[in-house]
Amino acid sequence: MAQLLVKGAEKWFRREDGRPLKILDRLSFEAREGCVTVVVGPSGCGKSTLLNVIVGLEPLDRGELVFLNNARELPRRPLIGYVFQSPRLLPWKTVGENIALALKGAGVDQREREGRVHRYLELVGLKEFVNQYPLYLSGGQRQRAGLARALAIESDLVLMDEPFASVDELTARQLRQTTRHLCEQLHRTVLFVTHNLAEAAYMSDFVVALTERPACMAEYLANPLPSPRQWSPEIYGFAAELESKVTLKEEGDL
Amino acid sequence: MTSPSDTRAATATAQEEVAHPQGFPAGSLPIGREITGRILPPLVALATVFVLWWALYLVFPRLLPGPLSTLHEAVRLLSEGTFLFHMYQSLRRVFVGSIVAMFFSVAVGIYMGTVVMGERFFQPLVVLGLTIPGLMWSLIAVMLFGINEIAPYFAVAVTIFPMLVINIWAGVKALDKELIDMSHVFHFSPWMKISQVIVPQLVPNIFAATRYGLGLAWKVVVVVEMFGTSNGVGYQVMKAYQIFNMEAVIAWTLTFVAAMILIEYGVINLVERRLTAWRPKVEVWRR
Ligand SMILES: Nc1ncnc2c1ncn2[C@@H]1O[C@H](COP(=O)(O)OP(=O)(O)OP(=O)(O)O)[C@@H](O)[C@H]1O
Ligand SMILES: [Mg+2]
Repeated sequence: MAQLLVKGAEKWFRREDGRPLKILDRLSFEAREGCVTVVVGPSGCGKSTLLNVIVGLEPLDRGELVFLNNARELPRRPLIGYVFQSPRLLPWKTVGENIALALKGAGVDQREREGRVHRYLELVGLKEFVNQYPLYLSGGQRQRAGLARALAIESDLVLMDEPFASVDELTARQLRQTTRHLCEQLHRTVLFVTHNLAEAAYMSDFVVALTERPACMAEYLANPLPSPRQWSPEIYGFAAELESKVTLKEEGDL
Repeated sequence: MTSPSDTRAATATAQEEVAHPQGFPAGSLPIGREITGRILPPLVALATVFVLWWALYLVFPRLLPGPLSTLHEAVRLLSEGTFLFHMYQSLRRVFVGSIVAMFFSVAVGIYMGTVVMGERFFQPLVVLGLTIPGLMWSLIAVMLFGINEIAPYFAVAVTIFPMLVINIWAGVKALDKELIDMSHVFHFSPWMKISQVIVPQLVPNIFAATRYGLGLAWKVVVVVEMFGTSNGVGYQVMKAYQIFNMEAVIAWTLTFVAAMILIEYGVINLVERRLTAWRPKVEVWRR
């Protein structure tokens, strides 16, 4: 069942000199319920713009977004969890307070907030850092706090924009594993943006491959690997298959 | 290579970390470095002023009163029963006027920085306000409200308002868009956006504005008190001036300045350090 339908989405930006710049070009795909849909595409093609449109930070110029819950269309844009490329935690609030504020925004009862903060911090392995300020955490820990915040609001849909692009490879590997397992365990619908094909192969149930700007759909693939996902050589096999179908502009993006 | 004192400092830090398992910086140094690092520099600054004054007095003894006789006069003032009363009157006027101005300037500053129409409407008014001297507002306030407490409050608030607004408006324009987008994505209410996302980013601007505003406010209060009230430091300075007692004029000024410095170090600095505890200390020129 679909959780989100993107139908014929088009988006333009205005350049400095006033000429229009087309970013999204008749883009259509779906994000299946309880699955991780990975969006891959070259740098600058419009992946972040796509997520910003879905979450309502940018308006769509043409086309529509349909949010579904049990096959029923939702009247308004629902609450959506978002893991940003940089963690975007409020530095003057502790990790726990940051998550509690998101819960308050999501309309979670004050009595329930504390329990949820602890539960999700435990899931991402940051339990003892509840009262720590973000600037005293490492980059990977901050990213995990952002992950806990996006999951804690328990929204139907969670967006992730290259969440591990700025952490080192070993940490990223751990974080991917944590994220993938949490999504399977909590049965979350996730739209995950990356330009790392190995990451796409490991994280995905489905892959949406975008073309260069303006982004339109190049491929829609189902990941043949079993879930729950383990690191295995087949992942690199699927990554190679992705690579044969997708052309990323820069060399050495992997 | 580690010297014994380094090792001791390291042990002290380690102990602090045990005492603060959350890892908040305790904000305190070993006592020796506390004195050289934090207390000594301002004292040296004050001593420099004193020495310069003394040197001037030695060169032109008839032009200005000596530091010692002025200090003597200040001590005499302090031991007088009415000193605290006048000081309290002036400080109250400074604070009430500043708080009123602060309240409005935070509101207007945020409005100007976030709403284009707000900026277009208030910008000419702020520029206009900046050019009107505090003395004018003092005269106008006394003529409008007569000799009562509204006049100094009004004069202070109106004079410092444009300076505060400029500070806060500049801060709002430099707000972090990413955090505001984040608050939007997580459905923060408008009040949560203001109190949790916007105002905390303005803390440095608010403190700069407070320091600046208090300094300016006291100058306005003294002027109003000279002709618009029958008590306060300005009134006392005026009385001393009428009998040409320069020692008293300077002594009153010095005591007031001392009170403001006490407030700066005893209140504002402490509150600021408290509010910025989340920020690790930056050391640009590491030793
Ligand atoms: N506010 C804006 N105004 C004008 N152009 C913009 C704006 N935001 C993004 N763009 C342009 O839109 C294009 C797509 O940007 P976007 O951030 O979506 O890329 P991306 O696919 O996320 O790239 P990356 O993988 O590097 O993050 C870029 O060419 C960028 O210059
Ligand atoms: Mg991007």
